[in-house]
Amino acid sequence: MSQNILRQAAEAQFAQEIEELKKHDKHTRPENWLLSPHAVVTYLMGGTLDNGFEISCKYIGNRRLMEIAVATLTTDRALLLYGLPGTAKSWVSEHISAAISGDSGLVIQGTAGTGEDSVRYGWNYAQLLSAGPVPEAIVETPVMRGMKEGKIVRVEELTRIGSDVQDSLITILSEKMLPIPELNTKVMAVRGFNIIATANNRDKGVNDLSSALKRRFNTVILPVPETIEEEVEIVQQRVASFSKSIDLPVEKPILEEINRIVTVFRELRNGVSSDGKTKLKSPSGTLSTAEAISVMNSGLSLAYHFGDASLRADDLASGLIGAIIKDPVQDKIVFQEYMETVLKQRDGWKDIYRACREII
Amino acid sequence: MSVHLLGIRHHGPGSSRHVLNALAEIQPDIILIEGPPEGEAMLSWAAHKDMQPPVALLAYVPDNPQQAVFYPFTIHSPEWNAILYGLNNHIPLRFIDMPLAHGFATEWKETPLHNETSELAAHVRKNPIAYLAEIAGFDDPEEWWEHRFEIAQQPYEVFEAIAESMAALRQTLPQRADRREDIREAFMRKSIRIAQKEGFERIAVICGAWHVPALTQLPKQKEDDALLKNLPKTKVESTWIPWTNDRMAFESGYGAGVESPGWYMHHWQHPDDHGTLWLSHTARVFRENQVDISSAHIIEAVRLAGALAGLRGFPRPGLKELNEATVAVMCMGEPVLMKVIYRELIVGKAFGQIPEGTPQVPLQRNLELLAKRFRIKVVPEHKTLKLDLREENDLQKSILLHRLQLLDINWGTMESVSGKGTFKEEWTLRWYPELTIRLLEKAPWGNTVEEAATKYLKNTASKCTRLDEITPLVQSAIPADLPTALNAVMQKMDELAASTSDISMLMDAFPPLAQVSRYGNVRKTDRESIDLIMTTIFYRAIAGLPAGCTGIDDEQAAVMTDKIKEVNQAIRMLEKPELTEDWTAALETIFHADRTAPFIQGYCCKALYDSRQLGMDSTFNAFSKALSPSNEPSASANWLEGFLTDAATVLILDDVIWAVVNDWLQSLDDETFLQVVPLLRRTFANFSNVEKRKIAGRAKQGKAGALIPQTIDIDPQRAEKVLPVLEMLMGF
Repeated sequence: MSQNILRQAAEAQFAQEIEELKKHDKHTRPENWLLSPHAVVTYLMGGTLDNGFEISCKYIGNRRLMEIAVATLTTDRALLLYGLPGTAKSWVSEHISAAISGDSGLVIQGTAGTGEDSVRYGWNYAQLLSAGPVPEAIVETPVMRGMKEGKIVRVEELTRIGSDVQDSLITILSEKMLPIPELNTKVMAVRGFNIIATANNRDKGVNDLSSALKRRFNTVILPVPETIEEEVEIVQQRVASFSKSIDLPVEKPILEEINRIVTVFRELRNGVSSDGKTKLKSPSGTLSTAEAISVMNSGLSLAYHFGDASLRADDLASGLIGAIIKDPVQDKIVFQEYMETVLKQRDGWKDIYRACREII
Repeated sequence: MSVHLLGIRHHGPGSSRHVLNALAEIQPDIILIEGPPEGEAMLSWAAHKDMQPPVALLAYVPDNPQQAVFYPFTIHSPEWNAILYGLNNHIPLRFIDMPLAHGFATEWKETPLHNETSELAAHVRKNPIAYLAEIAGFDDPEEWWEHRFEIAQQPYEVFEAIAESMAALRQTLPQRADRREDIREAFMRKSIRIAQKEGFERIAVICGAWHVPALTQLPKQKEDDALLKNLPKTKVESTWIPWTNDRMAFESGYGAGVESPGWYMHHWQHPDDHGTLWLSHTARVFRENQVDISSAHIIEAVRLAGALAGLRGFPRPGLKELNEATVAVMCMGEPVLMKVIYRELIVGKAFGQIPEGTPQVPLQRNLELLAKRFRIKVVPEHKTLKLDLREENDLQKSILLHRLQLLDINWGTMESVSGKGTFKEEWTLRWYPELTIRLLEKAPWGNTVEEAATKYLKNTASKCTRLDEITPLVQSAIPADLPTALNAVMQKMDELAASTSDISMLMDAFPPLAQVSRYGNVRKTDRESIDLIMTTIFYRAIAGLPAGCTGIDDEQAAVMTDKIKEVNQAIRMLEKPELTEDWTAALETIFHADRTAPFIQGYCCKALYDSRQLGMDSTFNAFSKALSPSNEPSASANWLEGFLTDAATVLILDDVIWAVVNDWLQSLDDETFLQVVPLLRRTFANFSNVEKRKIAGRAKQGKAGALIPQTIDIDPQRAEKVLPVLEMLMGF
């Protein structure tokens, strides 16, 4: 049955890696951790074990950031991963919790509608009406379960949650307990419990953390990839794993296409052409690596299902334009300028220029 | 008899500790230190109670002070501690490096061999520790050394380990022909031999780790002697100068510096600190900079730093761990805030002090004396000094700073002062160690600042061959109050002016002189001689001016107009009737000459109107004549541009000019209008949007166009009542 699952959880997908790491882990493990902090960092950054087993690299970027993130979870502060959309925040948090707790499923997706009952606990109203406030009538949230079992809980998009609800995390984080006044009892957190929250610093109109809550978090800012090589590697890796999981055979070497897409994204993001000669306007979107990945993926699907399975500029153009033009008026002008000043002039890029021209 | 080689890392606090422990154990009867023998005489000052590191031993060639080397020392420098140890225990000290007398006299050329191994060797030689760190898997050499040797509180074996690793490094690396290094090490060996011959029993040698293997086994004396034969020599002098923490990062006599002297200092003073104290300091700095940091933050940061060190397998957190913890816990992950920590703590603001009476060159002593008299501290910190030149003391300060500027010693930089009058000056003072070199460089010019500045200025002036070279000298010489030098400069200026046929240079020379003549009296300068020269330059300039305005291209015309504008302003400022008259006459000649460049003509028309030489009617006539359709369109455009250059405000506020332009525009028939529209556009394009909007607004209102002088009946009695209030407002 597991073959049919669209996307495996990290701990299932990399079960073997975690198992091997566990076997060869010589460092001390904090209580209720699956692996030692050292092994968790190895799991994230990749490496070769003593028996030659290859651990794949999950986060391509600065090792120190991962070290800070993991070290934070060994202290009693929670971890806040901060950064632009698409800088692998959720990806990192998923893998960290998979490596530490073997369970990346304790997630609260933060939205403007997330209420206190999905952070602390809810009630099964049928039970509540028939039996009154009894322990059985409580609906546990991921936070409560994480506290009881000593696991890492993930809160996605923390800043989207209303401030009043956010602040209900304060007691949980500082006193490591969750009072249930209705039952005159409380849930005490078991060792190993902690929270990884993610938040992006691009959206406007989000609920900034109160300073009391801020103080409970150590913040790690995940940057956009520093070099083009790094970014191409990320896209390539993710595209390869995508085509494997969707059974898309990749016929031709697509590295060159990846390079082109990443170059377009970087140029627009940085507001200057890669040779540093032309100044460009930046569109309103973030143009993250994640978006570059999805452009490649949709291009591949198009090529496979509607084309002759070889990736062409036409297949990429629609995805590219969709990713860049978020604001139909402003971004369109920006991209048209970019097409005329950069794409058109570049040798060997005529195909992509023409493909974009057709759509715009 | 034994020789103990203590290989150190320059400025490493851990090395310092190890050296002190080793010295206490060895009980040497002589200490040999890597350093220039010329500095030995200055060593005794190190123990002076007023000596406050960081300081640097400065060695220089007296004839050419640009040839200079600094040997910086700070409280955690191993060499410094060894020196203090020697002085306090009355043990003889010697510097054993190659004498700088040879070092400065020879040009050291490295023979570059272009193949891979030698490139690697060069890289390793430059920073052997970085190479070892690379091998050990550290990306930062500082960090590796810190964890390996500085933090580890191990006893004496450290030196053996260092010696061994360096020996291994030197053996495996391909040999590189570096004569300078060979000679330096030969000198060190020679000194060791001498000490041995003199019968010292326990010799301690303190040198950079890299040199240890070369000193371990002494080769035959003959070989060394051959190396050291016939080296050229030059005269070298040395002195102590105060140093600063941010300069510790400098490359100097001890090679590359350290990037985090503040952290090392902390480490030296508090070897047992596991981050608590450091992070408390960090928190304090943040609070001083309006970043709220609670004690809980510190606690968490200490914990995170500890956890990070544990994760990386270090016994205790180093600077990197502490910084990362600070960013994650205190700065919300935002590294920008770390800048202030870097400046205040990691580098630190410490600056040294040297005792009074330390040997100095006379000029240096004179400057210090003056600084003391004026109560200005010679410190490497930014300081603002506000001077009121009407007060004698402030005037003297200003003169001193100006004189130093003449000598290229930019201790102070003048800020533009907002406010009325020329009697106010604002200076930003900041002394930095390179200035000491510049000071030494100027030492041959004289023993006092005044004397040196005078002679230096005279010399510079005598070397000038063009008028535009000497003009700035006049500007800088006057506030420096150097009458004899100024006379020389003036004479030279007169000479040059006579032989100059370039009108634009003459015109450039005029405004500064006018400024001096007008405001020079604040400084009590000799006005007559200036006036004389100014007048001659003025007449020389206007004699050739009309001719100079003909037959030039648009670009030149714009340049010339700028100059005319400046002279015009200067003349108005001078308020000397005879000059004004002649200037106006010159302008008129230019204006009426047919072949004057239209741009200049336009400007002159405007200037003449401004000085009321041209009435409204004649201005109007000139205007429409210049813009009549039969003219070359580009000429008309240039004329208009010249007339209206940066005159948008005039157009908005001056009714006459407005009327002239407006009437002319309205007098055009449709066809002509279409022809001149591009010209107008070109001129108006230079105005800012606000100005254009105002002009448009005005055009909308004043359809009538013609000037309507408004006469209002004023009741003198009532008007008088306003006067006291006005006076109060104006501050009379």
